[in-house]
Amino acid sequence: EFRFGPCRVEGVVLSELWEAFWAVKNTLQTQDNITSVQLLKPQVLQDVSDAESCYLVHSLLKFYLNTVFKNYHNKIAKVKILKSFSSLANNFIVIVSKLQPSKEKDMLSISERAHRRFLLFRRTFKQMGTEAALVKAVGEVDILLTWMQKFYQL
Amino acid sequence: AVPCVSGGLPKPTNITFLSINMKNVLHWNPPEGLRGVEVTYTVQYFIYGQKQWLGASECRSISRTYCDLSAETSDYEHQYYAKVKAIWETKCSEWAETRRFYPFLETQVGPPKVALTAGEKSISIVLTAPKKWQRHPNDDTVSMQQIYSSLKYNVFLYNTKSRRMWSQCIANSTLELSWLEPNTLYCVHVESFVPGPPRLTLPSQKQCISTLEDQMSALKV
Repeated sequence: EFRFGPCRVEGVVLSELWEAFWAVKNTLQTQDNITSVQLLKPQVLQDVSDAESCYLVHSLLKFYLNTVFKNYHNKIAKVKILKSFSSLANNFIVIVSKLQPSKEKDMLSISERAHRRFLLFRRTFKQMGTEAALVKAVGEVDILLTWMQKFYQL
Repeated sequence: AVPCVSGGLPKPTNITFLSINMKNVLHWNPPEGLRGVEVTYTVQYFIYGQKQWLGASECRSISRTYCDLSAETSDYEHQYYAKVKAIWETKCSEWAETRRFYPFLETQVGPPKVALTAGEKSISIVLTAPKKWQRHPNDDTVSMQQIYSSLKYNVFLYNTKSRRMWSQCIANSTLELSWLEPNTLYCVHVESFVPGPPRLTLPSQKQCISTLEDQMSALKV
């Protein structure tokens, strides 16, 4: 089960996500030639408090679903990559559907802090050409999963 | 360094990181077709998200085909690339480059230390997590358990009399097996396991120990 602060997500097997990504990791990362740019920089994911984590993971996974996977999906020729993407996307949909970030007033400053982290990620994404940004984002799913794993309990 | 004509030599091949407990060593094969030629190599590395390639100070114009980059890649939450080129007289190869290397996800976690104590029908197993690579021997020791809080162990037990193998995955460092046969030689080996992406495992050396003779049957004799 994932525990992003107050948000609980059951029914997702993290090893499945790892397996899906690991099968295509080298293929995806080899396509990324702009190695001097990192989208999920340390400033985005380091020292995220439990309370912030629910907001941040919600924003990141929604972005991956609505922007990254959706647009990268059309470029996928290889069946192997398509299978991996479907597995990742389906699991991300489950996680997002179960996350209920609190809208309470007293959580405003925390949600804003998480939002600034997300904006840093998205700004870096938008500063790149769309194609290059999509390739880089899918290649950084291992960084995203490594951070998410910190909130996972077997 | 003396400038050389790039592309005058074939590239080194099979360049890859071999990483165990965060000791990250770059390995490669010599370029093909250059048998008997005294080739030297130069290595550079790159931190993903940074701006430029950096020279590996210990691996400039070397003749060996490996380079320990543990110090350069010691921040295991970063990702890295490395590249090597071959040089011979005024000619050199183009760079041969690794794929992206993520020590936190890719290092092999070595086996634990295994201590066995036998009773009549029991064996007690105490495990000590492997140590992380240290820059200097007198640096503070860091256990791989501290890096991977979810570190687990697969314990394998083999009954040499019945020739049956039994295994169990445990999260803590002690295991008491108290349902064994007396006066029987058992062999144990253990693998470390970290939930997450698939990793190569390194089993511990097989250790064998015999359970003691059953006191009751000893008295009857």
